[in-house]
Amino acid sequence: MEQYLRSALVAVLLLLVQTTFIPYVSVWGYLPDIFIPWLVYLALRRGQIEATVSGFAAGLLQDLVATKFLGLAALSKTICCFIAGYFFNENQIERTLGSYRYVLIVTLCSLIHTVVYFLIFFQGAEGSFLMSVIQASIGTTLYTSVISVLPMFGFSQRYHTSWAQ
Amino acid sequence: MREALERIYDLLFGLKEYAILTFLIIVSLVLLSLNDNSQVKNIRSVATVVFGVGQDQLSFITRYFSLWRENELLRRVNIELADQANQLREAKLENLRLRQMVGLKEQSQYPLVGAKVIGKNLTLMRNTITLDKGKSDGVQEHMPVVSEAGLVGVVVAASDHYAVANIILNVDFRASAKIQRSRVDGILAWDGKTLLLKNIAKTLDVNVGDVVITSEYSSTYPPGIRVGIVSNVREQAGTLFKTVLIVPSVDFVKMEEIFVVTQTPDAERLELEQKAFRMLK
Repeated sequence: MEQYLRSALVAVLLLLVQTTFIPYVSVWGYLPDIFIPWLVYLALRRGQIEATVSGFAAGLLQDLVATKFLGLAALSKTICCFIAGYFFNENQIERTLGSYRYVLIVTLCSLIHTVVYFLIFFQGAEGSFLMSVIQASIGTTLYTSVISVLPMFGFSQRYHTSWAQ
Repeated sequence: MREALERIYDLLFGLKEYAILTFLIIVSLVLLSLNDNSQVKNIRSVATVVFGVGQDQLSFITRYFSLWRENELLRRVNIELADQANQLREAKLENLRLRQMVGLKEQSQYPLVGAKVIGKNLTLMRNTITLDKGKSDGVQEHMPVVSEAGLVGVVVAASDHYAVANIILNVDFRASAKIQRSRVDGILAWDGKTLLLKNIAKTLDVNVGDVVITSEYSSTYPPGIRVGIVSNVREQAGTLFKTVLIVPSVDFVKMEEIFVVTQTPDAERLELEQKAFRMLK
């Protein structure tokens, strides 16, 4: 029970940071999604089911304070966390978290999340639909991947693993 | 029967990840389809208000960043505006100068060629200026140079596209000039420090403030061009002449656009004067 409460607290905290501070570090209009590294961490630590449910809950929380499309972030984060769950390996948790593999998983999950998200988000928008989806997805994914390097080094130090392994 | 139930249970339990995924996707899609529902809107507005309180508590940090950015933006805008103001001021001054020059050109009875001063050689003794017009524009040596303020000098060298002129503040420059009020004649000269009107007898009428203009005696300079104003008149002991100091009308430091009077000296008059001079010798 305690760990669920802690996760909920972290989710609220991340949402506050995401909506309050992250807009100030936008690069060419792209923002990182700091939920993804955390959700991937949950997936690698606790497995596919917990990650999928956590992804849905975190996405729903984001949707509630977003201006439109309730359920969109929930949908995309559910799918992305489900995929992240496939990388769960009870014997390799610390090794995966503290290595470049963590960044690669974040990149893959972020790409899935952003593609699903923007495919619906840009529906009906003016201009080139596909180009908008590709640009937004790649921009956000790259930024999120770069951000995920920080927790990777953190895990690497904490678990005394080499990030290059 | 029990075996069958157990088998179904095993199958479902084995697929629980997919079952959960399917369930959550369906819930998400249902929520997406309910976006315009008023109850959903109410829930969202409550969530936004609650979340807004938390954001408000953290806003003091973001306010610092936004102020920092705004400050930077304002500084940049300030520089741009200062630059624009400078350009406008330059354009206004240029406009004013050109208006004055156009006025001079319209009033002048002599043919004028407008030129820009592209170089100044101000070395006290022999001060010259370089003009962006030359022989191809009709500019030749010995042609007077004037501005809207008065006499500037004389062209001493000309190439196809450029010309160099001695300004009146040059020890090699001489011109016949006179006091406009009393019609007293003299020779305009620069001694390296002061512009003087020479050869004026002590008995002649010259006062401080008198306007000095070019006289008809010059074969180079058209008569009536303003030269300057008498600033001082000194009586020197042991000589027959006064020392008349003149402040030139033209500001040679600020001068940018001038005219060359494309009028060559009257050849017949020059020839006659030289002939007479030789006869006297």
